[in-house]
Amino acid sequence: MASKRKLVDTSDVQDLSDDTNLFVDEPPDDSDVDDNDTTDSSDSDSSEYSGIGEEEESDSDSDDLMDSEDDEDDDDDSSDGDDGDKDVINTVDDSSDDQDLLQSVTNNGENIEIKTEVKDDEINQHLDNVSSKTNQNKTKSKRKNETTISSDKDKTNDSLKDGKIKNEPLDNVDKVYDEYEEDSSDEEDIRNTVGNIPMQWYKNYKHIGYDVEGKKLIKPQKGDQLDDFLDKADDPNYWRTVLNQLTGQKIVLSKDDVSLIKNLQKKVHPTQSNEEIFQPWVNWFSSEKMIHPLSNQPAHKRSFIPSKWEKLKVGQMVHSLKMGWMKPSKTEEEQEKEEEEEDDMSYYMIWKDDEETEFSKRYRQHIPAPKLSLPGHEESYNPPPEYLFTKEEKEKWESQEPSERRMNFIPQKFSSLRMVPAYSRFINERFERCLDLYLCPRQRKTRMNVDPEDLIPKLPKPKDLQPFPTTQSIVYKGHSDLIRSISVDPSGQWLVSGSDDHTIKIWEVSTGRCMKTLNVEGRIQCVAWNPNPAVCLIACVIEKTVIMLNPGLGDKLQLTNTDNMLKSHQNTEQASDSKVPVSWSEFEDTDYEDGYRLKLTHGFDVTQVTWHGKGDYFATVMPNAQSRSVLIHQLSRRRSQNPFSKAKGLVQCVRFHPVRPFLFVATQKYVRVYNLLKQEMSKKLITNCKWVSSMAVHPEGDNVIIGSYDTRMSWFDLDLSTKPYQTLKHHKKAIRQVSYHRRYPLFASVSDDCTIIVCHGMVYNDLLQNPLIVPVKVLRGHTPVKDVGILDCIFHPSQPWIFSAGADSTIRLYT
Amino acid sequence: MESNEPHVQVKFFTKQSRYSVPDTTYSVPVNVVTKDLSSLINGIISESLTDETGIEFDFLVDGEFLRVALDTHLQTKEISTESVIEIEYIERHPAPTPEDSLNHDDWVSCVHASNNWILTGCYDNTIRLWTTKGEVISTIPGHTQPVKCVSWINEEINGKKCFMSGSHDQTVLLWQWNVKTNEIDCIHSCRGHAGSVDCVAVDEDGQRFCSGSWDKMLKLWSAEYNPNEDTEDEDPGNPKKKKKMSSKVQSRVPMLTLSGHTEGISGVLWLDKQEVCTASWDHTIRIWDLEKAEQKSSLQGNKVFLDISWSPTNRLLLTGSADRHVRLYDPRSSDGALVKSTYTSHTGWVSSVRWSSTNDNQFLSGSYDNIMKLWDKRSPKAPLYNLVGHEDKILAIDWTIPELMMSGGADNQLRIFHYEDVQVPTGS
Repeated sequence: MASKRKLVDTSDVQDLSDDTNLFVDEPPDDSDVDDNDTTDSSDSDSSEYSGIGEEEESDSDSDDLMDSEDDEDDDDDSSDGDDGDKDVINTVDDSSDDQDLLQSVTNNGENIEIKTEVKDDEINQHLDNVSSKTNQNKTKSKRKNETTISSDKDKTNDSLKDGKIKNEPLDNVDKVYDEYEEDSSDEEDIRNTVGNIPMQWYKNYKHIGYDVEGKKLIKPQKGDQLDDFLDKADDPNYWRTVLNQLTGQKIVLSKDDVSLIKNLQKKVHPTQSNEEIFQPWVNWFSSEKMIHPLSNQPAHKRSFIPSKWEKLKVGQMVHSLKMGWMKPSKTEEEQEKEEEEEDDMSYYMIWKDDEETEFSKRYRQHIPAPKLSLPGHEESYNPPPEYLFTKEEKEKWESQEPSERRMNFIPQKFSSLRMVPAYSRFINERFERCLDLYLCPRQRKTRMNVDPEDLIPKLPKPKDLQPFPTTQSIVYKGHSDLIRSISVDPSGQWLVSGSDDHTIKIWEVSTGRCMKTLNVEGRIQCVAWNPNPAVCLIACVIEKTVIMLNPGLGDKLQLTNTDNMLKSHQNTEQASDSKVPVSWSEFEDTDYEDGYRLKLTHGFDVTQVTWHGKGDYFATVMPNAQSRSVLIHQLSRRRSQNPFSKAKGLVQCVRFHPVRPFLFVATQKYVRVYNLLKQEMSKKLITNCKWVSSMAVHPEGDNVIIGSYDTRMSWFDLDLSTKPYQTLKHHKKAIRQVSYHRRYPLFASVSDDCTIIVCHGMVYNDLLQNPLIVPVKVLRGHTPVKDVGILDCIFHPSQPWIFSAGADSTIRLYT
Repeated sequence: MESNEPHVQVKFFTKQSRYSVPDTTYSVPVNVVTKDLSSLINGIISESLTDETGIEFDFLVDGEFLRVALDTHLQTKEISTESVIEIEYIERHPAPTPEDSLNHDDWVSCVHASNNWILTGCYDNTIRLWTTKGEVISTIPGHTQPVKCVSWINEEINGKKCFMSGSHDQTVLLWQWNVKTNEIDCIHSCRGHAGSVDCVAVDEDGQRFCSGSWDKMLKLWSAEYNPNEDTEDEDPGNPKKKKKMSSKVQSRVPMLTLSGHTEGISGVLWLDKQEVCTASWDHTIRIWDLEKAEQKSSLQGNKVFLDISWSPTNRLLLTGSADRHVRLYDPRSSDGALVKSTYTSHTGWVSSVRWSSTNDNQFLSGSYDNIMKLWDKRSPKAPLYNLVGHEDKILAIDWTIPELMMSGGADNQLRIFHYEDVQVPTGS
């Protein structure tokens, strides 16, 4: 029946040859065959199950005249789909039904012939039109089948073909037959008639068997091993060359043979590939209901009448739902949720990290965009009177900054909504709102949850770093103006101070007694006690002069020795260095009696004098003297020299290295370290300060501290870097002086904020260990005068005590 | 007394037989203070002694004065309140009364009293001689720099009395004072120190004395008057000095020089005939054996010592330091806690300490905080009395005469307090 329909169809639209192809591949279905016997009316029923009617329908619809045929056409297409998978099974049945088929074919064959005659021209055109892939595939597969399909089926096909129209692939079929004839394993090989015997029996003979005529078959010439090896190397077909044991001849296997063997080894069908056998199966007549009907039949009138039984059923269900007897079934989502919950309850990841989950939680945390506040009564066109501004409120509103205002508009009253004008700030507000949305944070900042305490390096407690000065002990009172400079004698018994009241005072450290007061002409900028205990001299800077004082205190022997040393000097070399604007002179008579010894008159104001550790050399600073700003003087030879030919900046402070011939020169921003022997700069320290005020060199010489007017104190480790090893910013005002203790690991800074900050600064002999710097104590006591606090500080040479000199004209000792 | 407060069982006893009470156990509230106990004792003894009432008593619990409520005291001393507590009571020491103030021209740096006379050294380079009544006998110039220490050498012999003075001018001068004629002669000038002489101490029989100086040396000198001592060993580096001195002043050289301190010596005293103890700025106390001329032992402190005092009766050393504490050292204990106790009340450097010569529990301390304090050894937390009067630093104190406490300070005053000590039997 199906084939019949097909033929009708082809007569209508398709090329004959193409039609045959189609047909060859699809042996008629069982059902179709059955249909053939049954009545036509059942056709329409079966057609309902077809899935792909639509495409072809459009084609067939073009022929409106043939309604009945359209139905058949649909059927035909539906049967098309069955072909691939079913043909293997059906082949057997087909043969039984051949007669019927042949009949039907012949019946329709006439039609075809007629059609072909008529529509011969159209064939090619239709060929193009038929674009269905399935058809194309069938064409291909059919061609392959011609060579490989099993004989039974071929026969069937052939019979069908023969019956139908033309017998075009006959040649191929013949070839197949030949092959099988030759290859038949049933027949005895006529070339050697020995039969199925072990061939090694002929091993020792020249012949290998007997031919049909009974003549000996001579063994073919066989190469020795060398030939065999050469063959192996040279012959590309060696690998598929086999020896026929029966004839002793070598046979080169063809490609097909090889693939046949391979298939046998794989235990698959020897001559056919898998795809060809198992075509994709499309189950058109499935149990699933399709949304599109296969038939075009209009719905029955009956179907528009609502079902009475359904209504009853629904009513019952509604009632039971209302009464709570029945619960509505859960939706899929709810079910999924429940399942998830169950899952969560029932098991969990034992080894899952808590952190991980927290992280993911935090990562997903979403911050919704800020919401606009809802309009209130005051925004109404007719607000309640209490929302309207009074005069004062209005004034206040106008005087306020826009950001301070409670609301950004003035409530107004209108008689009707019609009178409300356009809102002038609309665009501004929209823009701001957009900014709000655009700039609002969208993700929570992953803030590190670190205890700030942990970030602070572990420092020892000040308690463990004792001794250091803790309390004010003695106040040295006597000066009447600010004290610029103090200095302690090497033994620690005396203290000298220079003040703006034009006096130099020498104090007894242990009691606070002023032992001596010297009046000079001018402010005392700096005092420095000679660090050599054998030379009792104090260098004092009084404006443009530096004078040497004999304190007249301490060991008398050393005092006289010092005087003798000064006296014994011969005035020989004095005039030799005329470049240096310093003149040395001695005091006479009463001044000598008072303790004045030497006078060095400089050309400019001197700000600082500092002794070398051995007490023979001292340096003076004249910031305004350009290239002569730093001078080095030698006491024993009364000679001055200018070590630098060029001014590198405004010199603030100079210090000698305690042991090596280095000179530290601090300008406003840099500290230069000069090697005095080699006469070159060996280092340049970058202070990162704006204005260096003071400098101190560690007694071992490898560390330097710098105090600056911008409240910073920097510690330099000369071995480490030219940048500060550590910067301390504890002072609130300018640092005036910094100082190291000679013996204890202490250093201190004094500032205009009237505090002394004492720090523990341990320098280790181990070069790998960095200095340990711990601020240990803030000492207070001084009072500021005209914003000037403490001007100078110095440690006691042997005790952990510190002296400070302040603008309040007192010196204080902290122990 | 409130009934709901816990009580403790106490027993009273005293070494002053006049005020003895029967050996009965009393029950007193735990938070009782000294005043309540004192009235309790007064109530008990008024039964036997009718004439004396209103005597103030001090109470010693476990060897320490009761200064707070009894329960807190017991807590700090960790004494159980279950057992009977034995409380010793003594008559409260009467407060010292300011008696006199001797005006000087400059800071009073040192003071030493003997019998009826007071010797003071002054920053105006003079030594002053006073009677205990406050009359100045003499003002003795002689030093060229401030006097740092003075000391009487011996008792009056043949109407003559000797004393000495050390000064910043690195000399110790020996003086002889003819009491009747009031003539004072400088008999010897002891030269050898290379720093200011800060302390001197004479041995018991007045034969030798020791001096400590800023030059870290301890020197032993003869203190005897020897008019024929040759002067050839005089320090040749000081020709000027020699001229200044009158012709009869003979220079004297030390018998022994002991070095060992690394800083100046601030206090020196004799422990016995052959032992000298020094306190120094180098944080050590050293004991020297003069016979062997070597250091015998050393006590390490951790602060600068400014003065030291020795009590022959309880054999303990008292030191004043630059950290505001008075410390009690036992020179005999070789290990463990060197410091037996620390007395903390001063707010400035303790410049001077003195044991009482009669009461082995009491001592005086003078400080840069302008206050002299009277302490009892058994009360480390608080002094017995604060003797206020000075307007500047106290530089020196003296308590050689038991009734007179003297303090000299930077306010140019020597203040004298009269103290009537209660007779307490000494010893254990």
